[in-house]
Amino acid sequence: MADILSETVEQEDLKKFEKIYHEQLSKNDVTIKAQFDYAWCLVRSKYPADIQKGIMLLEDLYTTNEPGQRDYIFYLAVGNARLKDYSKALGYARSFLTIEPGNQQVISLERTIKKKMEEEGLMGMAIVGGAVLAIGAIVGFGVALAKAK
Amino acid sequence: MDEDILTTLKILIIGESGVGKSSLLLRFTEDNFDPEQTLTIGVDFKTKKVTLDGNTVKLAIWDTAGQERFRTLTPSYYRDAQGAILVFDVSSYSTFAKLETWLSELDTYSTNNNIVKMIVGNKIDVENREVTREQAMAFARRHQTLYIEASAKTKHGVQNAFEELVHKIIQTPGLWESYNDNIHVGQKGHTSPSGCSTYCSLI
Repeated sequence: MADILSETVEQEDLKKFEKIYHEQLSKNDVTIKAQFDYAWCLVRSKYPADIQKGIMLLEDLYTTNEPGQRDYIFYLAVGNARLKDYSKALGYARSFLTIEPGNQQVISLERTIKKKMEEEGLMGMAIVGGAVLAIGAIVGFGVALAKAK
Repeated sequence: MDEDILTTLKILIIGESGVGKSSLLLRFTEDNFDPEQTLTIGVDFKTKKVTLDGNTVKLAIWDTAGQERFRTLTPSYYRDAQGAILVFDVSSYSTFAKLETWLSELDTYSTNNNIVKMIVGNKIDVENREVTREQAMAFARRHQTLYIEASAKTKHGVQNAFEELVHKIIQTPGLWESYNDNIHVGQKGHTSPSGCSTYCSLI
């Protein structure tokens, strides 16, 4: 059964957005859109190396483009969860929920991550690591939101 | 647990930003409404089992973001969908006018060429309507889609919209595969696939 953490990108989509990104990269003029589209494909890849690359691109966007931070945090949570780095993924989900406590999409993502952790017997470990990371993320995200208003 | 399920159907929800796609889904899956519903990021996913005419089917529903910046990637979720719900806001004419674009997008990217389409006019609870029921029905008839008026806020029409869509999918030969060929699917009301027989209005 497909869900947000297990559905995978079609190879033709990945190739298409990879091409656009690389064309722009070779001209040293990568748009936010091209980088995000490519990153969105990468974090949905079945190959961990792709996901890792997608996470790097999202982290880069997160620091350079404030208006999109909400999207980047969400897909950083998804990407890390797919790499089974659950504590990091939960940290992102929690920092998101600090800003938008009622967001159903993120609440259900958090629930899915916790379910995976339980299945893999990792529940206890993540709490501590996730909390530390969340604090760092909240600061950045909160500042961005305050500026946007 | 899955042995009593006839099939799993993939359903898409598309339409302009802010028309109430996620609200319709939340009402349908959890019978809930959030007046401060936030903007969907990319795509959201929910499942629900429904029983119609004695058959239980599982719905895998992909709720797409309506915002322009997600437009390039959301069509990749159209693949293999058996049904699509195209939502507009009856109090915003521009969201109705954009249905033409959404329909052609669907024609371009959906892999099932007999995908069942349902137009939902949402927010009928609001006072200042900009699209009449007749206008929307005429549009739906012209494009051979189903049409239902709904309000995610008051619940009106929401259940009907999903059930009618599923009903129509199950009646469409070749659109879905059964896990068990012996299950008989009712053909009640099934007529020739001409324009008007595919059209319905429930209010």
